[in-house]
Amino acid sequence: MRAREDALFDQVFQDAAAAEKGPLAGAELYERRGWQVEVTEGDDGITITDASETGFALRLFRGGRTGFSAAGPDGARHLVSQAAALVPRGRSRRGFRAASPLHGEARERTPLVDPPFPDEERILETIVAFRRDVGVAGKGAVALREVSVQAGERRERIATTGGREASWESAAASIVATVAGRSSAGRFSARVVAVAARLEELPLARLARHAADRVLLPLTGQPAPGGKADLLLDPHVAARLVGRLAPLFFGDSEERLLFARTRGGRDLLTSPVLTIVDSASAPGGPVRAARDGEGTPTQRTIVLERGRVVGRLTDTATALRTEGPATGNAIRAAWHTPPELGSTNFFIDPSGGLSPVDLLSSVRRGVYAAVLLERPEVDLAADQFRLMTAGYAIEQGRAAAKLSEIPIAGRLSELLRMVSGTGDDLKFVMSSRGGAGSPTLLVPRWKLS
Amino acid sequence: MLRRGEEGEAFRERKRVASWSASEAGLISASFTEESGTAVRLRRGTGQLLVARAGDSPESLRSAVRDAAKRTGTSPFLKPHREERMGRAAASPFPDDDSFAALLQGALVKALADPRGIALSLTVSRIAIERLVITPRSVAWCGVPPRLEASGTIRRAEAERAFSFQSTRPAGPALEALSLLLQDALRPVPAAPPPGGETDVVFSPSGAVVFWHETVGHPLEAEADERSSVLSRVHSAAVAPPDVEVVDDPLREDLPGSYRFDDEGTEARRVPLISSGVVGDLLSDRRTAGPQSNGHARTPDFRRRPRPRMANIVVAPGSSREEDLITACGEGLYVREIASGSADPESGRFALFVERADVIRRGRLGGPVGRFVLTGDVLKALSQIDGPPGDTVLPSTGLSLCVKGGDGVPVGGAAPALLVRSLLARRPRR
Repeated sequence: MRAREDALFDQVFQDAAAAEKGPLAGAELYERRGWQVEVTEGDDGITITDASETGFALRLFRGGRTGFSAAGPDGARHLVSQAAALVPRGRSRRGFRAASPLHGEARERTPLVDPPFPDEERILETIVAFRRDVGVAGKGAVALREVSVQAGERRERIATTGGREASWESAAASIVATVAGRSSAGRFSARVVAVAARLEELPLARLARHAADRVLLPLTGQPAPGGKADLLLDPHVAARLVGRLAPLFFGDSEERLLFARTRGGRDLLTSPVLTIVDSASAPGGPVRAARDGEGTPTQRTIVLERGRVVGRLTDTATALRTEGPATGNAIRAAWHTPPELGSTNFFIDPSGGLSPVDLLSSVRRGVYAAVLLERPEVDLAADQFRLMTAGYAIEQGRAAAKLSEIPIAGRLSELLRMVSGTGDDLKFVMSSRGGAGSPTLLVPRWKLS
Repeated sequence: MLRRGEEGEAFRERKRVASWSASEAGLISASFTEESGTAVRLRRGTGQLLVARAGDSPESLRSAVRDAAKRTGTSPFLKPHREERMGRAAASPFPDDDSFAALLQGALVKALADPRGIALSLTVSRIAIERLVITPRSVAWCGVPPRLEASGTIRRAEAERAFSFQSTRPAGPALEALSLLLQDALRPVPAAPPPGGETDVVFSPSGAVVFWHETVGHPLEAEADERSSVLSRVHSAAVAPPDVEVVDDPLREDLPGSYRFDDEGTEARRVPLISSGVVGDLLSDRRTAGPQSNGHARTPDFRRRPRPRMANIVVAPGSSREEDLITACGEGLYVREIASGSADPESGRFALFVERADVIRRGRLGGPVGRFVLTGDVLKALSQIDGPPGDTVLPSTGLSLCVKGGDGVPVGGAAPALLVRSLLARRPRR
């Protein structure tokens, strides 16, 4: 506990409450404290970074307008005046107001407990383990140029003039590695990333195999022949595409687009084998949080069930506008940015999926897209996507020749409607908007560009 | 002070950001953020320690030094009585915010004269960063000048495109430039598909900056292993025509990546990257070059360690008129705007995501074409530069944050137009 920060929190909250009174006015004060330790080991030696974070963020609400300001403890006393000056510059929008207390929850404010310091020994052990895994996966042809492992612990709390009082904790760990592959055909390097809620949950062996494929396939394979072929998308590839679908389900923002794509809900958005879920407690998901950035408890929200749109992700403002419950999807990317509607772990539900081996066996002639070589291009409005991948040819249910380039592009809706099978091997990647996950996907007779 | 064999510095930062979110209907909401922090960095042999603490007060510095000392077993390396030189910020660092908001509203109205059918999602930010590096021998202000940044998406006629802009000019001219660029970006997206396969390309000055940034700048950012980059492996070799002169110039104050001292307190230097077509120096920091650092250590914030990065890539003018380059191209593409790019220094492969381009037919500009990706190999592309570059050097407006290894730093550049033969164009299948 830190008395200075606790007193500051109370003081700023009192000032904000005094400044914003009335039926259409209110305030929300947020505080975050955290520790982060990162160890980077590379050709140029080892770097240890030990960083603390402490910050306050205030949102004032007045007549549907908001003003947001954020500062560390040194600048916290200016928050109310700064946010108050910004309120009139905003545009009035229905739903902007201080969150109310949650049913059955206490309205007492408790001091924020300092988070524990991350375990540095474990970070070093993780690096050693990953180095070993890369050696095994790369069979001597892959060099680890640099690896960074980060672990962080965080405590957060929120108080609103509407009566909400909540505090919660979260943790995150990540590994970022730069690997280089060499063969007689040349060199290739790539950066690979894995994120998890805890250090021990980082998928080290899987990331090492992925890293080896990422740098060796482009060097050792041949470009995929064009024409129609059954397409097997590795979870790493499919998940990146799934993550880009999330904005379709953000509150009421894409209502018109969804309406047009499904002819007013009469058609399915995707193949009936697909069910898409957002959950901040999904096993293996990189995001794990009991509450969102507005203090709303997170939940499992089904947005697409057997191809049909059934739900939306909401924060308190969009919940009011769409007249549904808040699903706990107000995301604070950092303590100093306003909460925004976003996803937590957004993934294709693998329930009822087949094992990836069974999916592979079902393919007579096709391709297995194992890794992404470039960031995916997805244009939701134009219904277009483009993935540059590498992988393997599939012949009679078995992986055959290595393929250095498999370009997959076309209409996104067509791809999603053609998915005929899913695996049971759900894997997550970190997307720009949170975790994104998918099992292996089978798309029959897709025309490769 | 530091022990024998050690070097290091203290780093203090205060960042203030005033942001407005905007849609096609005008400004939606405003936010203001102030974050300050202090870091102590200590290097000994191949090891480095960075201890970062929130706040820029003397207490934060003492706390960082104390914790660094605990970890290294050494005594604090800074004199505790070091003079406090970083003044407190005013309650509002942008005192003209009200008039700025009105100017911004005006710029949006001008750009969106007819907002029908357009969905705009834009964040416009004024960013001011004060940075101070304290070494045992000196105290230096560092970091880039205040800037205006805009980024977001534009959706029109069932197609979405990214938009980015940055400027270090005063508010009025910067918003005028933003308005013009936005107007241009809001034009309807053409339906004509781009040609696929090998094609000759004329880069506009703005597009050429991104080409040089990816093909020359990134491969010459020093890494521990000098053999890891396709250009550092051929140091002092002629890789481009003799009239190609490329430098990285942090001292160009009109460009967004400018600074006088880098984030380790080293005085910034103009570094020749390609001189008369020959590969020049690497961009270095203290970790890769020790005291011979050429002042290119840059960090996105006080919690991250500095690494060698570009600042402003600047290319000397040649003798060709842009029209002559288009005529010489014959059949190909004129690239007006590149949304983003990437390069793998190890293999030399690069990709440029082209947002706007025109077709060139029989040496003349034809109609606009849809977006596509240009790819190639660094050494091959440099050797296929045809003729001298254009005679007019213009700054890039679209180039803003350069992200490498997850760390984003503001960069800029200025270049003339350029003709490159035989790049590979890939387009999405419709």
